[in-house]
Formats: sequence, C-alpha cells, structure tokens
Amino acid sequence: MVSISDLKYIRPCEWEIPRSYRSDMRVPVRIFATPELLKDVSRDKSLDQALNAATLPGLVGQVMVMPDMHQGYGFPIGGVAATRYPDGVISPGGIGYDINCGVRLLTSQLTYQQARPYLEDLAEALNRSCPSGVGTGGHRQFSIKEVEEVCRKGSAWARSAGFATEQDLRRTEEGGRIPGADPRDISPRALKRGSGQVGSLGAGNHFIEIDLIERVFDPQAARVMGLEEGNLALQIHCGSRGLGHQVCSDYVKSLQSTVERYGIELPDRALVCAPLDSPEGKAYLSAMACAANYAFANRQVLSHHAREAFESVLAGRVKDWQLSLVYDVAHNIGKIETHLIDGREQEVCVHRKGATRAFGPGAADLPSEYREIGQPVLVPGSMGTSSWVLHGTEAAMQRSLGSCCHGAGRVMSRSQAKKTIWGEDLHWELESRGITILAGSMAGLAEEAPAAYKDIDAVVDTVVQAGITEPVARLKPLVVIKG
Amino acid sequence: MNTKASGFEEVAHTADLEIKVWGENLESLFIAAAEGMFQLSGIEDYEEGFSAVREDITLDAMDYEGLLILFLEELLYRLTEDYMLFSVEKLTINEHFSLKARLRGTQIRSYQRDIKAVTYHRLNIQETDSGYTVNVVFDI
Repeated sequence: MVSISDLKYIRPCEWEIPRSYRSDMRVPVRIFATPELLKDVSRDKSLDQALNAATLPGLVGQVMVMPDMHQGYGFPIGGVAATRYPDGVISPGGIGYDINCGVRLLTSQLTYQQARPYLEDLAEALNRSCPSGVGTGGHRQFSIKEVEEVCRKGSAWARSAGFATEQDLRRTEEGGRIPGADPRDISPRALKRGSGQVGSLGAGNHFIEIDLIERVFDPQAARVMGLEEGNLALQIHCGSRGLGHQVCSDYVKSLQSTVERYGIELPDRALVCAPLDSPEGKAYLSAMACAANYAFANRQVLSHHAREAFESVLAGRVKDWQLSLVYDVAHNIGKIETHLIDGREQEVCVHRKGATRAFGPGAADLPSEYREIGQPVLVPGSMGTSSWVLHGTEAAMQRSLGSCCHGAGRVMSRSQAKKTIWGEDLHWELESRGITILAGSMAGLAEEAPAAYKDIDAVVDTVVQAGITEPVARLKPLVVIKG
Repeated sequence: MNTKASGFEEVAHTADLEIKVWGENLESLFIAAAEGMFQLSGIEDYEEGFSAVREDITLDAMDYEGLLILFLEELLYRLTEDYMLFSVEKLTINEHFSLKARLRGTQIRSYQRDIKAVTYHRLNIQETDSGYTVNVVFDI
C-alpha cells in the first residue's frame, strides 16, 4: 500500500507519485490534498486504486485525484484521467455505474425571511412532487420508444415535453445532450429499467435540498449567476437511475473478453476498457451518452416538479419565488475534450469519476454569460453541512484538465456509520439546528451522516488553495429530502 | 443446501458494500453470495399468501468469476424490477463455466437498499483447504 512518505511535494496542496513507483504505471499520479486530508486518504485504498488507473493504455498527462477522494471499485472516487483520442481507451469503470450522476443548482430572488413561514409546506410539497426512495419510480410509466427518445435527446426531449426552458438547456453541461447517443447500443433491460424512473430521485446519497445563500465571496461572479446573500436556492443531486447502472454493468461484463483481444493487461478487472476507436469502444461511448442524456432529462424533470411545488405553495403569497437554473454539472462521465497537455493541444477522453468539470474563463463550451467568470462548479456538502458554489480557473485548465472535486467524500464505511450513529438521533440533531429532513429510512439517514464524510470546507479550501477554483458562495441547508 | 460450511460476512468499505463469502464447493459459494446480497438489500416484507413460482435459469460465462457476476446480477435484476426474491432449490456448475439453477421465487413488498451493481473489483474466487472463498464489492 502507498504511504504518505512515497509522495513527492509539488506545490501547496499538490503531490505526486512518480511513474517509477510501479513498473506497470504509464503516467504519474497527481494528488490534490492538504497534509491533513492525506491522513484520511491513507486509511483506505484510494491511492492504490489511482495507481491501478495509471496503467490504462493511451493515458496522457497524469492521473489526478481530488481531495474528496475515497476508495471505489477499479478507479477511486475523485479520479480524473485522460486518454488520447481516438487510440487511447475508454473504461466504463472509470466513469461509474451511475453514469452522469450530477448536481444542479437553481436560485430564486426570494429571501429566507419571506420564505420562512412556508418552509414546512415547501418541504411537504417537494416531497410529494419529486418521487424519491428505494424502488420509487417517476410519476408515470414511459414506453420504450419514449425512453429511447429521452436517451437520444436528453434535456432537449424535456424541452419539447414542456419540462424545460431554453435557458435551462444553455446552463446545462453539454446543453443537456451529448451527441452520438444511439439507443441500439443499450440493452432491452436498460431501456426497461429506464421506463419507470424518469423524474425520480432514487436513494443513497441523492437528495433535493432547499438552501439559504449564506455568504457570497465573489460578488461579481455571484451577480452573474443570480446568487444573492439571504436568498433561497435549490440543489438536485441524482443520476441516470437503473438505466445507467444497467449500461455500465452490461459493458463491464462484455468488455471482459475485449481486453484480451486487444492485448490489454490490467491489475483489476473492474478497469476493463476498449480503444475509443474500436467497435466496442464506440458502442460504449454511444451507450454512455444515452445514459448521460437520460440523467440530464431526469434532473430536468425533477426541476420542473420542484418549480411546480414552489408555485403551489408560494404563488400569490410572496413575490420572486421562481427558480432559475444556475448550472447543471455531471460528476461521473467521460468527455471528449481538447486540453493543453505536455506542451501541446491534444484531443482526449477525460474520465471524471466523482469529479466535476471546472472550465476556466474563456472556454468555448460555456454559455456566453459565464465565459468571462468561468464555469460554475457545484460542490454539495454532506447532509446538514454547507455546499459550495465555485468557478473554474485558468490554473484548472493548465493543471487539472479543467476538473475539480465533486463533494465531501466519505471517510467512514456505511456499516461503521450505522453502528455508531442512530438515524433517529441524527434526525433530531439536524432538526434542532433548524434543518427540516424528510428521509426514506432512518438506517439510510445514518449511513449518510455528516460524520461519515470529510469536512466539506476543508475539501473546498484545498481546491481553492491549489488554485483550480475560486469560491463564489456558500449555501446552508434548510430543507433536505433524501430517498 | 449445506449452510454449515458456507456463509458470508460484511467487510468494511469506505463507500460501497463488500462481503466475504465462503463455501465448501462452488455451488454453496454462489448460494451464500446470493444470500449475502439479499441481506444487504434489506428485504423485510414478504407478500403473504403468494404462491411461490419456480423458474429454471441457465447462464454461461468465460470463467467462474464472470459466472458469479451473471448469477448475482440476474437475481438483483429480478429483485429490483419484479420484486421477486429467489432462493435456490438446485444448482449445478460445470467446468465449462456453465450454471443451471432451479429457483423458487417469492413476491416481496419492499426492500431497504438499492444496490446499483455487482462489481468485478478484485473479484477472485480462491480455493482454500475447506472449499472456496471470494470477496464481492457491490456499488451502492
């Protein structure tokens, strides 16, 4: 196992494990962390998993791990890796089972003071309109044809079905639609699993949260994003549901034999991959795009239902309750992007698994209003703790492939959390701090307890100190809905 | 089935769930892994008065690990899609990595936890003095 003494100091909050550390590594591993956070890292296998990821064929630059890293399967969570396009590989395990799990932030001009008397009603209305929990699907069953349409078009499907505005699409990564999605590349089982879950949150760490914009750090960027201190905002965190899980499972399975055919040797079968330009690699890229589009549409439909909930409770009672989308980011995804790596522009497939895109100012993919400040980066905290709005920087483009952390990151296993924390106690504690919690199960609540996660402020402080993001605003939770 | 020489226990994993499974032969190892997975799913409520259904399945893979994944995925899919909990009445696994099973399914009302997937992470069925053992990581 890698120990902290194996790490080479690069600059504050940046460390490296050189390529020479293990003979099968193709690139070094770069770690963004403070010495304090490194102690958490050394408690699990995340660094060893990063070394394994560094063996993939066609890698360029470095494999990076963000300060919220923790042990996953194959790749660590919080990992970023770029492979040369089109002859490098794509690895489904480097993207994750919940393809395009992501988060979006909506904001209002409604002040907390005005909204306060209605918060309980809002919680109830959101809980009714946004289905959540284990085994809970969306409001209606979709036909297979409709699911295919969702997979092909993503948020554009949601727009044509009346669930999205033009601005929603513009403010979603990739405009809410990754091109090249062909539903023929996903299995009948994946489509079937997707048919009942459009517009549903799921369970686990997924949530909908009403937040107070507690503090603004960058008034200019906050103004552009529509964030004002004292106002209400809303976050939605979820992904591609059973459809995405099935797509990943199907391809991790089918690619087991592919690696042999292409003569690829791997230290862990969870890392299976295929060259991007191979028939198998192309099929996975298309299937991943289908699942990613499904996830964009899913968060969009949930946003629509959240807007309906706000309208049903607040319309006619207060002004300025409308929710406008700040941004929607994917944090489990593979993207074909162009980056300056080793001194030259290269087209690469950036795997982000539990990592957020964080493009700096001037990036062509950003909507015009954000081009000057850089991409909004959304980093939700663990339940009951702060969330952060940041923006990407030029340094991120140079040093982290325009990427940043995605959340707090776990430190405690679920079984340990359940042993040490009672869901009921936690519920009481959060309520006594003025946070309304609606949760599917008390055991599930205990597993997601803040004590099971790293300190979000320390994680954000690290990426800010490293220079790959700048803080814009901090959000404080008021209402949390968990599956 | 012989449960004395087979079983499972949860192993700590930071974010996902991992079980260590053992069995005196491959068949009992596979059955114990399925039982472990169902326990992690937290099935509590059985549908009463439901007459059990029987189903035969055949699965083929390239190796025993691939076969274990197929078997667990099949049971997981039927659990999450059809709310069917299957127990194994008969199971045979041959040296060509082919599995035949007679399953007995019971309708359930609910389960407590969504398992996203059965992963290949460090999946390695090992022979021991008393049979076989394997660790399985489930993505949550």
